Amino acid sequence: MNDPKPSDLARALSQTIVGQHDVVEALLLALIANGHVLLEGPPGLAKTLACRSLAAALDGAFKRIQFTPDLLPSDIVGTRIFDQRDATFATVLGPVFANVVLADEINRAPAKVQSALLEAMQERQVTIGLQTHALPDPFVVMATMNPLDAEGTYALPVAQMDRFLAKIDVGYPSRSEELTILDRFAVADTRPLHSVATLADVQGWRAQSQRVHLEEPLKRYIVDIVLATRETRHDAIDYGASPRATLAIANLARARAMLDARDYAVPDDVRAVAKLALRHRIGFNYRLTTANISADGVIDDLIATVPVP
Amino acid sequence: MTPRSLVRIAAAFAALAVACAGPPARAQSLQRLTITRFTLASDTATPTLEVPFHLLIVVRVRERVGELDTLDLPVLTSLELLGDERHLSSDASGTLYRETITVVAHHTGSITIDPATLDAIDARDGKAKRYFSNPLTLTVRGGALAPLRSGGAALLAGAVFVLRVAVVLAGLLCAVAIVALLFRRKSVPAPMPAQPAAPRFEPPRDPRDDLRDALVVLRAEPTRANAMLARSHVRATVGATDDETLADVLARAACDDPAMALVLRNLERAAFTYDADLQAAIAAAVDSLEHAIA
Repeated sequence: MNDPKPSDLARALSQTIVGQHDVVEALLLALIANGHVLLEGPPGLAKTLACRSLAAALDGAFKRIQFTPDLLPSDIVGTRIFDQRDATFATVLGPVFANVVLADEINRAPAKVQSALLEAMQERQVTIGLQTHALPDPFVVMATMNPLDAEGTYALPVAQMDRFLAKIDVGYPSRSEELTILDRFAVADTRPLHSVATLADVQGWRAQSQRVHLEEPLKRYIVDIVLATRETRHDAIDYGASPRATLAIANLARARAMLDARDYAVPDDVRAVAKLALRHRIGFNYRLTTANISADGVIDDLIATVPVP
Repeated sequence: MTPRSLVRIAAAFAALAVACAGPPARAQSLQRLTITRFTLASDTATPTLEVPFHLLIVVRVRERVGELDTLDLPVLTSLELLGDERHLSSDASGTLYRETITVVAHHTGSITIDPATLDAIDARDGKAKRYFSNPLTLTVRGGALAPLRSGGAALLAGAVFVLRVAVVLAGLLCAVAIVALLFRRKSVPAPMPAQPAAPRFEPPRDPRDDLRDALVVLRAEPTRANAMLARSHVRATVGATDDETLADVLARAACDDPAMALVLRNLERAAFTYDADLQAAIAAAVDSLEHAIA
């Protein structure tokens, strides 16, 4: 039997998730590029289902954390509990110790809880008491946010948003897709997925992705795109993307090339992933809303100013 | 016939004699070039005696080259060479060579500077050719120091006499040269086109001529730079704009031709693949390009 490929995983996910091809592809890209993703979209758009299906297809440990205002950092990373029977402290690991962690409605918990998770995302290890515990590998956090219901939420600080490799905007399905959803899930059937790849396969994909070649003009193209976000005089932009965006675009472009069975990246890869890496790293201001323009539209305009190599 | 016109005729004969010598003998080592500009200019048409001025040679070629090995400068018999500065820059559209020669004139009067020459293999038809720039005629005017240099009257008179004798001799030589040339013209094929040489080699341009040029260059020198150059020609042929990626171009109806789509894909690979795969990628691109323009 041949080694499973990322495209096998994409096919498996498409059996569960109707439409949302961009979302599925973005999840795979982030998985291959070893990064965390932030999914933003209204409720009921299969964000949670997508994350759960991905974990199931990987045969990895999946944990879901519902973020609420009364959540504590120890509820996420774990804590030490005193055991009266033998008068010792025992460490109880939190739900963050899983391969795929779904942080549902991450903006509903206060900043200290968000920080606890985001620190784990960055360091890939957690310190409980005096002991440091490495998180499993692969470790992917998929956080969701609902853009419609802002009351009682805590907006993620810019520095923390920056730690997500990609931000995926989840949109409504098309009419035909919605009809398919009606047929497929009318009896609450979510089609349990069989695993199609192992965690070791994911590690192999990541190693392969890191070997994807980025030719010099392509590197300059990536840098020019990121610089365009900083040097623009667009009214709706307060600040541009960080150098972490440059790395994110490069890694995602490599992953996309690998997904397309290529061992070299091309400008199309960069163009396709740029918004994923940029949309949460650019500081947009109120003019975006008042002028009724979309962040993606602004980014598209900026990218169009950079000549393709 | 005035001395000035005699000098011009002699210069023309010299240029023609060089042209009649036929294609250069070093064809094996010549560069493959598509010359689009080859000019000789001066920063003044009327230089002043004993005041340095500049001659500028400009060569523009479509290929990316590190140097122009076979560029020969004109022989500056009437001028003293003070300095020579070369500058060569390359970009996606090719290479621009600029050479600035600083000279000074020690005698007043008219000076004709012969064309510069450049031997190369024409990338469009693969033939070795000698290209000529335009010649240059300058009039050197007396400067403030001229009277001081004139010396005594007797010396001046002697110099004038010697000059007259020289002019008469030159006239005789030119007459002999004209007769010899007329006889030779009957037996020798038409000389290579004179200045400006490069434009005369231009065949009527077809939109796919650039692709043929690119194919010749890429086949001769399978480098990444030439692959990029070929890619830009193909993109221009299908009307791709600067902000369009391959997917944008292929999505447009303008690129319905599957052969051209394959060329675009192969050139994209040749432009961005890793070094170990480069030659295979260029070979695939050359094959598909040959098929597309056949």
